[in-house]
Amino acid sequence: MQKIFLISLLLLLSNPAQAALNVFACEPEWAALTQELAGDKANLYTATGPLQDPHRIEARPSLIAKARRANLVVCTGAELEVAWLPVVLRESGNNTVLPGGAGYFEAASFVKMLEVPTRLDRGDGDVHAQGNPHIQTDPRNFLPIADALTKRLIQLDATNSNEYQQRLAGFNTKWRAAIARWEQQATPLKGMPVLVQHQGFPYLSDWLMLKEIATLEPKPGMEPSAAHLSQILNTLQKQPAKMVLRAAYQDARPSEWIAQRAHLNIVELPYTVGGSDKAKNLYALFDDTITKLLAGLR
Amino acid sequence: MTSLELDILLPAFVAGLLILATHIPLGMRVLQRGVIFADLAIAQIAGLGVIITALLELNHMPLLVQTIAASSALCGAALLSWIERIAPEVKEAYIGLTFVLAASLGILLMNHDVHAGEHLKDLLVGQILWVSNAQLIGTTILSAAILLAWRTLRNSKNHFAFYGLFALAVTASVQLVGIYLVFASLIVPALATHKIQRWRMPLAYAVGSMGYMLGLLASVWFDLPAGAAIVWMMALVAILLNAIIHRQKSLT
Repeated sequence: MQKIFLISLLLLLSNPAQAALNVFACEPEWAALTQELAGDKANLYTATGPLQDPHRIEARPSLIAKARRANLVVCTGAELEVAWLPVVLRESGNNTVLPGGAGYFEAASFVKMLEVPTRLDRGDGDVHAQGNPHIQTDPRNFLPIADALTKRLIQLDATNSNEYQQRLAGFNTKWRAAIARWEQQATPLKGMPVLVQHQGFPYLSDWLMLKEIATLEPKPGMEPSAAHLSQILNTLQKQPAKMVLRAAYQDARPSEWIAQRAHLNIVELPYTVGGSDKAKNLYALFDDTITKLLAGLR
Repeated sequence: MTSLELDILLPAFVAGLLILATHIPLGMRVLQRGVIFADLAIAQIAGLGVIITALLELNHMPLLVQTIAASSALCGAALLSWIERIAPEVKEAYIGLTFVLAASLGILLMNHDVHAGEHLKDLLVGQILWVSNAQLIGTTILSAAILLAWRTLRNSKNHFAFYGLFALAVTASVQLVGIYLVFASLIVPALATHKIQRWRMPLAYAVGSMGYMLGLLASVWFDLPAGAAIVWMMALVAILLNAIIHRQKSLT
């Protein structure tokens, strides 16, 4: 078995021309999903690392070069990459991957968005007009996205249409079973009051029915006021929480500060594929997320 | 003021006082030497050290990270004292250049390890409200050691004696409260009192600690980011002090 695997790996490495599509994924979770759905038919490149804030990276020539050769760009959208992706795509001179083109795929357009503001005011910090873009924390979102992404893969590479459809069917069955397993494991978390370091977890909370009682840094990248922190401590006195959540790419200090004061467990979630040692693929990402949340209960 | 608010403000205020303790005498010397931007250069070089620890994947050992940050800062101090010796007339230009080169080298190194960039950001934008008790204890010990060394070395003609102590103080304070507050703590009290001969030191400490106190209170009362509020309050107190002194002079 191992030998077969090694040989196929060698074949894969020695024959990269077999890949039909060059895919430029903005975040690791979309690279992982494309990997599941396209297998060796896609040549993957991921623009941001798991420990990087996808809001703010710098547009580098290497990104532009990769976008130039891409057949398909797979991103979250909903303004998550607004600081760098439009520049990269414009500079790439590759018309097929511009927004609206067949080669541009925005995952956020296929899920129900949360926290869509009724009123737009940039003074509120990093607000997103189309809602909170951190959709990858709810595994249920991957089902409609996988469906739409497969349609797009077929549109771009019709010759392999059968394989894409088979892979999608396989993914759907396996993923649905996994969701059922995670929900089963996560039952003790239902209704659990939690604190979040930033507004990055509405989809996770919605899925597992966690009760977010306060956000430490309501405006990302902005120091909170002492008034805001005292309000949080006040809330915690009335309504004690067990844990404070933060994404692996974030500064540890805010959650350490509140954990020390209010005796909370710190739960550092991988947030995306590669965000922790264990979160090596999409399945492991949620396995690890649930394990860490359950450990936070203790 | 509720006990909760006091609980939040007190550690931050203590951090401010600890920083003022070392930064006011150092700031006066900085002003006298005309090396205002040396703190930015040193902090950036300490940051480079941290990026290198991250590249070598040693960043899970906080004590080692601190040791390397401090050693890098000391190397920076050696560089600045060498600049002061060989090119005293254009040292400010060299210090500015050192800052830009260190910052750009950081960007180049981070290009390959993006997580290191987050570490540098952590190092340079320490936020005063997040100070922990462990940090306060560490800073107290370091501040005491620096003040003791300063008493014995303040009249030394050796440039490195100054820059070395300065480097250690800045490396610690930048992580505690961030670069803006470090800059303000160095410069504002020293600048506000630079024409005063009698009681200069107590007045400078008063300006600094009033700035921290009023800034923290403003952060509670007006719901403002603490660090930025302190910088402005310190500047306003300094202006007020100068207005009073000016008036007294014109009266006599």
